[in-house]
Amino acid sequence: MIAVALISLLPIFWMVMGAFRPRQELFQYVSLEWHLFIPVEWTLQNFIDLFSDSSKPLGRFINNTLLVAVSVTLLSLLFNSMAAFAFSKLRFRGRGIVFAVFLSALVIPGEVTMVPTYLLVHAFGWIDSFRALIVPAAVSVFSIFLLVQFFADVPRELLEAGKIDGASWPGIYAKIVLPSMVPALITMGLITFLGQWDAYLWPLIVINDESKQMLQVAIATFTNLQATEWGKILAADTVASVPILILFLFLQKYYVQSIVNSGIKG
Amino acid sequence: MKMNSAFGKQEERAAWLFVLPAAVSLALFTFYPMLNALTISFKEYSLINPEAVFVGLANYSGLLSDPKFINSLLHSFHFALVVIPVQTALALGLALLIYRSSWVTGLFRTIYFMPVVIAIGVASTLFKLIYNQDYGLLNSLLGFFGAGPVSFLSDPNLALYGIMLLGIWKSAGFFMIIFVAGLNGIPNDLYEAAEVDGATRAQKFVKITLPLLRRTLTFVIIITTMDALKIFVPVALVTGGGPADSTTTAVYYIYKVAFQQMEMGYGTAAAFILFVIVMCISIVQLRLLKTDVEY
Repeated sequence: MIAVALISLLPIFWMVMGAFRPRQELFQYVSLEWHLFIPVEWTLQNFIDLFSDSSKPLGRFINNTLLVAVSVTLLSLLFNSMAAFAFSKLRFRGRGIVFAVFLSALVIPGEVTMVPTYLLVHAFGWIDSFRALIVPAAVSVFSIFLLVQFFADVPRELLEAGKIDGASWPGIYAKIVLPSMVPALITMGLITFLGQWDAYLWPLIVINDESKQMLQVAIATFTNLQATEWGKILAADTVASVPILILFLFLQKYYVQSIVNSGIKG
Repeated sequence: MKMNSAFGKQEERAAWLFVLPAAVSLALFTFYPMLNALTISFKEYSLINPEAVFVGLANYSGLLSDPKFINSLLHSFHFALVVIPVQTALALGLALLIYRSSWVTGLFRTIYFMPVVIAIGVASTLFKLIYNQDYGLLNSLLGFFGAGPVSFLSDPNLALYGIMLLGIWKSAGFFMIIFVAGLNGIPNDLYEAAEVDGATRAQKFVKITLPLLRRTLTFVIIITTMDALKIFVPVALVTGGGPADSTTTAVYYIYKVAFQQMEMGYGTAAAFILFVIVMCISIVQLRLLKTDVEY
């Protein structure tokens, strides 16, 4: 139990500690001793280099990624919850068929649609634009599917009470349904945000302009530089991970809930 | 409750409006590309040369006799055949250790889950350094036990195992959580009854836990299989498919053909073949693992 915990943690610990070491130290302590993990001389130089390097400005990549990830998260929460609300709570002809068509999209893998979607985005003139990253990601059938499960718990009587009080359906959705679904929305938002934060393949394909690149692709290019830039790589990895780890520790409940739901009901 | 017809009409109109954005997006970015993919796979299609030539099944027949594609499929299968049992057993083992809630198990659960939170790009660049022959963490640790140094990434026989280790390190915690949910769904009185009958721990595991966990197990195995057969990012970042193409998996091959060599028709046909294979395997797994145990 403890051994596996060590294996889980050691690489992360080595990464964070390595980020605070001067370059030569990383190559000096290579046997199992205290200083393999704990820096002898603590330094912030790696982080300073990382943010001041104008050819690969990490701060800019983080901003790009935050912008895209937050946009996708907000749009997807809106559109997916709207669709999920209609599928789970509203009565309309063809509901079953439309929902089945939606679910069939779950089978279609991104690898197959990758080339045509690229061509489409190219035809729209969106290459090297954040639109290429945001618009196609704004709707997820998987999210709709999970939200439908969550929405099932909202009693329809509650909605009809709102209806009798004279509220419109958009009003009911905004004032009654969404407020009662906040935990589910946090869960879905977290999954979407982390998915975007981790995105690698799609940005690699549609973004060529380096100044617009996403974090994961940018970090990957660090390793293509000289092999001796270890401190910088570890510092970049640390910067990209620590905020997410902290976010996870605070929102762990929601994160775990999302996995449990996808597992049990999936 | 009976609705009047104006009420119903209004509801119907509202429903379509609510579904509309998602429907448009799906049509545009999933269904249309899917159909388009099929036609592209029958063409010699390249962005550089927009004159797409219809070549019928030539892409498919070419792929099936292309040793590079076949080898990439074999690497994906090799990867999947190791990762599925090892990762699933590890995830289940960890789940069994920590599924009852207490202060200590909560702590360990969080720790086991931490690699899942690390982005795959970060994990890949990190493991590339960990595997380094001269200064990497793994060789430092192996050196302590008197082994090594081993050059994990430049040995064609070892490199794929390096990717496997990274994959398992990163994903086991995710499936552990799914197993925890499954284990907590098993009624406790079944175990209590078994204890009254004098069952051992092993007997309880084989007779109660495994059968009742079958639904969860099926889900985990199918998802793991899909993920494993489609492994891409670690390959692209840690080894770049090398050395000597020994870690070129199917999706990495598709990416290279479609977006580096710009042979988009050929690449899309390869994606379709992979898709059909993954689909068939999932269906077979679903049949084999189909459960009839109810509780």
